[in-house]
Amino acid sequence: MISNKGKIEWFKKSLAFLALVLGFFVPLLAQAYTGITIVMSAQTLTNKEFIDTFKAELVNTKNSSLKVKIINLQETEKLEVAENSELVIALGVKALAASANLKFSTPVLGVFIPMPAFNSLLVKSKRDLGNFSAIVLDQPFSRQFLLIKNILPASKKIGVLLGPTSSQYADLLKEEGEDAGLSVMEENVYLEADLIPKLNAALATSDALMAVPDTLIYSRETAQPILLTSYRQQKPIFGYSQSYVRAGALAAVYSSSKQIAKQAAEIALISQQSSNLLPPPQAPKYFSIMVNYQVARSFNLVLKSDEEIYQKVLAADTLEAK
Amino acid sequence: MSNSRFFSLLVLILAGYCQTLYAEEVNTTEASTTATEGNSAWPQFLASENLSEDDYIGEVPKVLTISRLSQSLADSPSAVTVIDHETILASGAVDIPELFRLVPGMYVGTNAGFVYNTNHAVSFHGMNSAYVGNMQVLINGRSVYSPLFGGVNWSELPVALMDIERIEITRGPNAASYGANAFSATINILTLTPSETPANSVLVTHGNGRNEAFYRHAGKAGSLAYRATLGYRQDDGLDDRNDFKRTRFVSAQADYQVNTNNMLEFEFGLTGGDRGEGNILEDNVVFVPRTKQINNYFGLARWKHQLSDTSDFQLQAYHSYDRSDDETTSVELKPVFKGIANAQTSRRLRAQFLFIANNLAIDRLRIDNEVINERTDIEAQHTFSAGNSIRAVWGASVRQDTLYAPHYLGNKKTDKFDLQRLFGHVEWRPHRMWTLNTGAMLEHNDFTGTDISPRASLNFKPYMNHALRLSISSALRTPNYIEEKFDQKLVIPTTLSAPFPRALLLQTTADDGKVDPERIISRELGYMGKISGLQLDARLFSDRISDVIRFDERTDFTVPANVLLLNPNSVDSALNKGSAAVEGLELQTRWEITSNTNLLLNHSHIRIRETQDGLKRNFTKSMPVNTLTAMLTHNFSNGWDASLAYYQTSETTQLGDGDPVDLTRRTDLRMAHQFHSGVWSGEVSAVVENLFNEHYQEFADYNSLKRRGRINLRLDF
Repeated sequence: MISNKGKIEWFKKSLAFLALVLGFFVPLLAQAYTGITIVMSAQTLTNKEFIDTFKAELVNTKNSSLKVKIINLQETEKLEVAENSELVIALGVKALAASANLKFSTPVLGVFIPMPAFNSLLVKSKRDLGNFSAIVLDQPFSRQFLLIKNILPASKKIGVLLGPTSSQYADLLKEEGEDAGLSVMEENVYLEADLIPKLNAALATSDALMAVPDTLIYSRETAQPILLTSYRQQKPIFGYSQSYVRAGALAAVYSSSKQIAKQAAEIALISQQSSNLLPPPQAPKYFSIMVNYQVARSFNLVLKSDEEIYQKVLAADTLEAK
Repeated sequence: MSNSRFFSLLVLILAGYCQTLYAEEVNTTEASTTATEGNSAWPQFLASENLSEDDYIGEVPKVLTISRLSQSLADSPSAVTVIDHETILASGAVDIPELFRLVPGMYVGTNAGFVYNTNHAVSFHGMNSAYVGNMQVLINGRSVYSPLFGGVNWSELPVALMDIERIEITRGPNAASYGANAFSATINILTLTPSETPANSVLVTHGNGRNEAFYRHAGKAGSLAYRATLGYRQDDGLDDRNDFKRTRFVSAQADYQVNTNNMLEFEFGLTGGDRGEGNILEDNVVFVPRTKQINNYFGLARWKHQLSDTSDFQLQAYHSYDRSDDETTSVELKPVFKGIANAQTSRRLRAQFLFIANNLAIDRLRIDNEVINERTDIEAQHTFSAGNSIRAVWGASVRQDTLYAPHYLGNKKTDKFDLQRLFGHVEWRPHRMWTLNTGAMLEHNDFTGTDISPRASLNFKPYMNHALRLSISSALRTPNYIEEKFDQKLVIPTTLSAPFPRALLLQTTADDGKVDPERIISRELGYMGKISGLQLDARLFSDRISDVIRFDERTDFTVPANVLLLNPNSVDSALNKGSAAVEGLELQTRWEITSNTNLLLNHSHIRIRETQDGLKRNFTKSMPVNTLTAMLTHNFSNGWDASLAYYQTSETTQLGDGDPVDLTRRTDLRMAHQFHSGVWSGEVSAVVENLFNEHYQEFADYNSLKRRGRINLRLDF
């Protein structure tokens, strides 16, 4: 016992000495590692666009004190260099998973992250929301309902297909739907084989379908049967991405990488001012809408210009915000 | 975004956080049971946790390409009837042509005619025989009408009803969009894509004179989705007719998504079977009742290439081969000629026939009535939109049909028929209330040279759910082989030499090959409306048909030397003779009475007038003046559904092998029960055709229909 006690005392003393020594270097070290590190898993067009816009936004705010360093996980697996950054921004799930393992005092902000993936990483990393946050890819349901109401004013019932991941949003969808004057008709899909029968059921009882991301339901492979079924039943689908709209959905609310970069830059500045404490995870603040006019035409829908629709959705979105 | 928004999102994320925590807990406790019980839902649950940014922002192949998106009915240049999968099921029909009873303006005759007597006659607006040859019929863009007679051998199509997603019928000429033979109407049969089909399905049918079995398998292998259907159909036909059918077929379809912008599609079909042929009523000497074999196949490949979001290109090629192996041997000829001799009143003629009867070189006549036709067709098509107001499609195709039919063409050569066409169609919406459609097809073929079929329509949509259409469309129908090169004869050699006949000739038809295309100009005023659950489509139409192709006596037929023509005053040849006006009204309604009850009600009133002399026989009666179809369907809450269909056609006299038939009334009832049990789901259904057992005639007085029942069982797994 005694000897142990002695050891602990010694350890404490040594630690204090180390701290003292290191303390001298802290200003130097801090200066050496200050700034923002962006971690990405691959050099994609989306990521490049994000980085360029993010840098440009920082320059616009005349905050040149924030340096931006880029780490591509394909080139290096060593993330320690990011350890002392004021903020680490991780682009995509893979990069966020890697960054989540950094020491807890390094704040990590994920972008291009699906909400369920963020939740999952939050649990796994045992981090706190104050040092782990994200701009999720999921648009608020209320905003999507606004788009639906603007495009199909007469619509009353909206079908949704919920799978293993998305079923957690069932209650929220219903609630927000009610606020928008829409009854949400849900069908639960737990087996791939049920997809088309459930889709038929959901479309039969509603005016349109709103896609809620779930890998069991919406994927490259299922795009064809889903969109064809919607087309044949003459019930449009509201997607959640530009590519789904290009593929044949009627419209979608989405945020471009530039828009997300702008929001990320704002967060970077806020966290700098509030001693590196990150705001809570948030939905995309800036958004665009995309309408497939070819599909609208085939469904015999006469729609306003996408700019007009966007302005209406934006106005209502901001109104709610006030 | 406000604080409250942030707050609600935060709540949401925390809720998800708690769920994930819970899920992880469950995961650890359930892990052992998973291994032992093999819970199949669990791995998928885990897989779905892997949502990545790619699921949100990744590329998705374009599905509703501009060429796939059809015009909305309100913008369509023609009247269209859509028979969807649900309607097909509800009708209880077991044969494709039976479905066309649901189309206003169509007449369907079961097993019509004496030749190809197992085939349905399906005609639009009359003026047709059992061998209707004035419609374009497509299966997924592949033209299936016969080059021989222009019609379709419906029972030989390698398509199972359960594979059909929908049938679109364009009522009226539409050559600009559908090409050659889109004269009176176009039937476009579209099958389910492989990706929409359940993995395994079995369907069996048993009923009066009917047995059928189908097995279908669909699957995926990476970017390839495929479907194969095996089918067997057995149909005993009608009473007192030699019209049984046994058909075996395989059909397969595969879609290969090369990348987001390129898709390859393949189709393949194989049909074989036996058919009853020949009827004692019509011919008890040469074309006596017998059994013939059919062997058909086809293959198709299609490349769809996405040029941009608003432009795509499609290249399609297919080849089909249809063979009907039919051989007939006459009864002994000597007694026949003796019989003819004894029936003669003139002593000189009686002696002449007896002399012939005693000097025939053969005892019996053997006819090789094999028919082989092949079709090769390549088509390229480009669809694009220019701004938000213009959408256009244009393209070109080349086709070669070949025909080997020694009995019909009078020689053992394979004849070739080449056809090239160029087509274009533009839809222009200058204002949200107006749509202008214009299009044309330029066609060149070996039989009649070059011709153009233009079309224009103007749609006015004063309100969202109401549209008016004014349209004018012209089309021409190229004569088929029967009308262009028919040389049907029986030659019976004798043992005699000059000055006596060395052969006897019975020449029924000898085409001179000088026929021009038949022409139609169709005008219509249409209305399409939707008032809450009621959809209405009405049109007034007036068709002017000229240069009608029909058969009449050929006066310049020269008999070869030393040959005795047995029918000197009845050698026929196809010619253009006469004109007609076909006028009337077509009404089609679909009423969603409640969310579980639907009524389909269709009516047509059609009058045919002769406008130029020459249309002898019964042209003006060749379409029932009134046809009425009603189908009521109801879904009961407990998996049961029922449908009641009523078909009524007024009296008519069909051309060709038809004769006068009275007003017909038929009521069909279908009851079905759907069930689900684990991985199995399915349906048991019973259909009663002609519920009240009215003994009515269809197409001709030799076709009597009675009550028939069937039971179907379908399993999906």
